[in-house]
Amino acid sequence: MRASLLLLATLILAGCGSTPQPPEPQRLRAALEAESEGAKRYQRGDYAFAARRFDEAVRLHAAIDDSAGTGRNRLHLARSELALGRAEAALVVLASAAGGADAGFALDILLLKAQAQLALARDAEAQQSLAAAAGLCSDSCAQAASLHLLQARAALAARGAADALAHAETALKLLQGKDQAHETGNAWRLVAAARLAAGDAAGALPAAQTALDIDRRLALPEKIAGDWLLIGDIRRKVDAGDTAAAYRRALAVADAAGLIQISMMATQALKDIGMEKKAAD
Amino acid sequence: MSLLTQYDADAAALRRGIRRFLIVAVLATLAVAAAIVVRQGVFRQTTNFSFVTNSAQDIVKGQPVRIAGFRVGSVADVSLKDDGQVLVNLEIDADHMRFVTHDARVELRKDGLVGAATLEILPGTDLSRLAPAQARLKFSRADGLAALANQVRDEFVPILKDIKAITGALADPQQGLPGTLAQIRSSSEALNTLLTNSNRQIEGIGGTAIRILGKTEQDLKYLGQTLETANQRLPAMIDRTQQVLDHVEKITAEAETSVPPALRDGSSVAADVREIVSGAKQAWPIRNFVDAPAPATLKADSDPRGEAARAR
Repeated sequence: MRASLLLLATLILAGCGSTPQPPEPQRLRAALEAESEGAKRYQRGDYAFAARRFDEAVRLHAAIDDSAGTGRNRLHLARSELALGRAEAALVVLASAAGGADAGFALDILLLKAQAQLALARDAEAQQSLAAAAGLCSDSCAQAASLHLLQARAALAARGAADALAHAETALKLLQGKDQAHETGNAWRLVAAARLAAGDAAGALPAAQTALDIDRRLALPEKIAGDWLLIGDIRRKVDAGDTAAAYRRALAVADAAGLIQISMMATQALKDIGMEKKAAD
Repeated sequence: MSLLTQYDADAAALRRGIRRFLIVAVLATLAVAAAIVVRQGVFRQTTNFSFVTNSAQDIVKGQPVRIAGFRVGSVADVSLKDDGQVLVNLEIDADHMRFVTHDARVELRKDGLVGAATLEILPGTDLSRLAPAQARLKFSRADGLAALANQVRDEFVPILKDIKAITGALADPQQGLPGTLAQIRSSSEALNTLLTNSNRQIEGIGGTAIRILGKTEQDLKYLGQTLETANQRLPAMIDRTQQVLDHVEKITAEAETSVPPALRDGSSVAADVREIVSGAKQAWPIRNFVDAPAPATLKADSDPRGEAARAR
């Protein structure tokens, strides 16, 4: 008993007497905390707050001449702006990131730029950004799947359904066994949209359903509502009787999440098929 | 015989001892008496001042009087005047008279929350003129517990009223948050419908115009393409900008009328709290237990808004 007490006391003394870890400089610590808090908020879907914290982190890192931290947080800020639907603001941030960042961020900057350009329907510029990105990323690079998904989106916008499907399927292969549920959901959605555009509505339906299942697991209202719209479009194409039900689900989700644009699209889709706005099934 | 002689010598020694003891005792008694007299200030040169107050609460005879924390005198007398006021006489050492200016003020203070009350003479600003003997000084009481409680109450009552107003305003289905949100949503929907209709018309006109221009003049083809591109891009931008402006204006207007000032200060309060938390994190020894976070990585998501599904 006495020996164990002695051992315990020795351990405590050793612990107290050990060399303390040198603390990080306070400004760096504050910058990292702002970045970390922003990332937590981003993960929770609070993109507006995340953007404010990343903006603060950019300034804090810049104030200590930490170019890696500044560039990294500019990319985070651009991602938050894109999630908020502010593609123009994201492009402004990316322009400043491209000016001061080190070469390690070049590919990410190009991919985010293409993402913003696609959101703004600047398809030609998006194609250019993606071509430049493809030059920096082989199939073994970490962002290869994201690159293929953006290429699929660009091809879809240019009415190249076959190209879009090929890129989306390549992305799916690259994502197999990886912990990237968001991108996997995006890939299935694109497969569905590409098959629908190519006239294969029957093949599009299971892909859209898979995308919906993934987005439900991730609890992403905007994507879930979008998936229901897509499912509605597919059912309409194959003359399925439950088309209105899909649009109504899209409307219900969009209304509940306050997604005005999707809500309007679902209402319009219901009108197009001769159905008035009703309560969700 | 020798035995008697020996007895006399012993008796004399005893008498001498007793006499010495008595002398020492008398001297000690006199010294104590002298000390008491000196302590009472019998031989001290003092000057008397007085002040008048409406209550003798916490003022007693013999109570110390201080200047800058040093004892310089005491309360000589507390008496009730014919008009019901209380007259307090102070005895101040002449040595400290130089601090008692003609505009000096006496303040009753308490040492801590439960300490004894003391009178403090606060010299005035005009140091060139001293108070004459028997001068009547001004008197005030420093904030005690009751005053502090009143002060706290005065600070809290408006906040509590604000909270009551906030909860009332927020819960109100017509004017409160539910009503405001409903108004914002209905306004946005109406505006968006209007803008969508306008966009369609503009696009139609733009398409027709381009066809006509293409037939009549080839050189204007580029201009037509530019217009078409602008037509495609502008509606989305105008739509989005208009939505944002509409929301901001609506919320600001509603905030001005229905949100009390305390709620509008929320952001600064939140900033303060964040500052405090971050300060606490950086303070020893807490900082030793809180590691600085590692650089963050966000999950890859090339389509965070699911726009691919809406490319209809």
